[in-house]
Amino acid sequence: MNEFVVALGWFGLYAPVALGAIGSAWGCALGGSAAIGAMLDSEGGYGRFIGVSLMPSSQVIYGIVIMFSLQQSSIDAANGAALFGIGVLSGFTMLFTGIRQGEVLASAIHASKAKPEIFGISLAPAAVLEGFSVFALVFALVLAGSIPS
Amino acid sequence: MSQPHQYIALVTSLPDLGKLFTRKNVPISEFRLKQRMSMLEAEHTGLLQELVEITAWAGVAKYDQDLEVIRRANQVVNDLKDYPDLQHLVGTRMETRTLIAALRRRRDGQETAGDIASWGYGRWCGRIKANWSDPAFGLGHFMPWISEAHRFLQTGDHIGMERLTLTQVFRQLDHFGALHEFDFEAVAIYVLRWVIVERWSRYNEDDARDRLATLVQAALGKGSTSGIDPAVTEFPKDNSFAFEGATS
Repeated sequence: MNEFVVALGWFGLYAPVALGAIGSAWGCALGGSAAIGAMLDSEGGYGRFIGVSLMPSSQVIYGIVIMFSLQQSSIDAANGAALFGIGVLSGFTMLFTGIRQGEVLASAIHASKAKPEIFGISLAPAAVLEGFSVFALVFALVLAGSIPS
Repeated sequence: MSQPHQYIALVTSLPDLGKLFTRKNVPISEFRLKQRMSMLEAEHTGLLQELVEITAWAGVAKYDQDLEVIRRANQVVNDLKDYPDLQHLVGTRMETRTLIAALRRRRDGQETAGDIASWGYGRWCGRIKANWSDPAFGLGHFMPWISEAHRFLQTGDHIGMERLTLTQVFRQLDHFGALHEFDFEAVAIYVLRWVIVERWSRYNEDDARDRLATLVQAALGKGSTSGIDPAVTEFPKDNSFAFEGATS
């Protein structure tokens, strides 16, 4: 049983990075595809399209930060379950927000191409999703402090 | 690129078409549009051609009989089985044509709908037959444009009729377009809207009058006219069409 909990602990430790990386890759691919398409139909402003399409890359960075905060001198039965719970749930948050952020960024790029003046405001939904990722990051850090080492 | 990403890139590479009747020129040429459509999957390219063919005047003009058009529409609807919204779009477009054809037949003195199954398509055939003498075929309470179209036909206002029908078709496309953003349906609806905008941008009153005269002569020469007559919504200036059959 103890070995199983230890295995879960290691799973939880790496989950924020792995799931965050998947979320970022997926989100950046969605946003990047929209940016590439938009560049075909634009005379300029390429940088801003590419710039916003990279926004979902923050999820993997948050995942790395969470992993370091969860890292313990040893993973055992006492902390394995906590590492698993915090790591997996925060990882799924990063995965989901990364993908959804990519989708709203693609919509924002598409909409702002037709109406350039809404470019800034069209990024608001993506910023809100970023906020949810930050919530998950901050509270994972808070809880990481109370894990028995 | 995987399919979802491919369609995101394709949709965002297409310029906004704006509102109907507001543009003098289309924002993307036929050549460029065809070039962009090369990003479509092979299966989707075929479906798009079918869709454009059945919804554009040029595509159905080659059929002599209404029944052939109806049969072709049913075939296209069947081919679009994986895309229910496009099926509804084709159905709605054919129903609009049926209503316009009914208005024309009545204007031309037809006293009853006759064998409507041989020239009509869709849900409203029964209502049209039962309410033949009503200006809007008993459908005016939720399709007020039919009464307006009736008035335009009675007064011979062809331009008004053209604008009205194009507006209706554009609204139908807007309705279905709102349900899709980055998929095949979105691309197909964009192309159908482009067809209308491009045709309107080439609209010229003198050309239209010449074209109308030619059509009337051709129709008189043949001795019969098509029941499902899309000419009001879809008479192009020439035969150089986009997507091998679309009105340009």
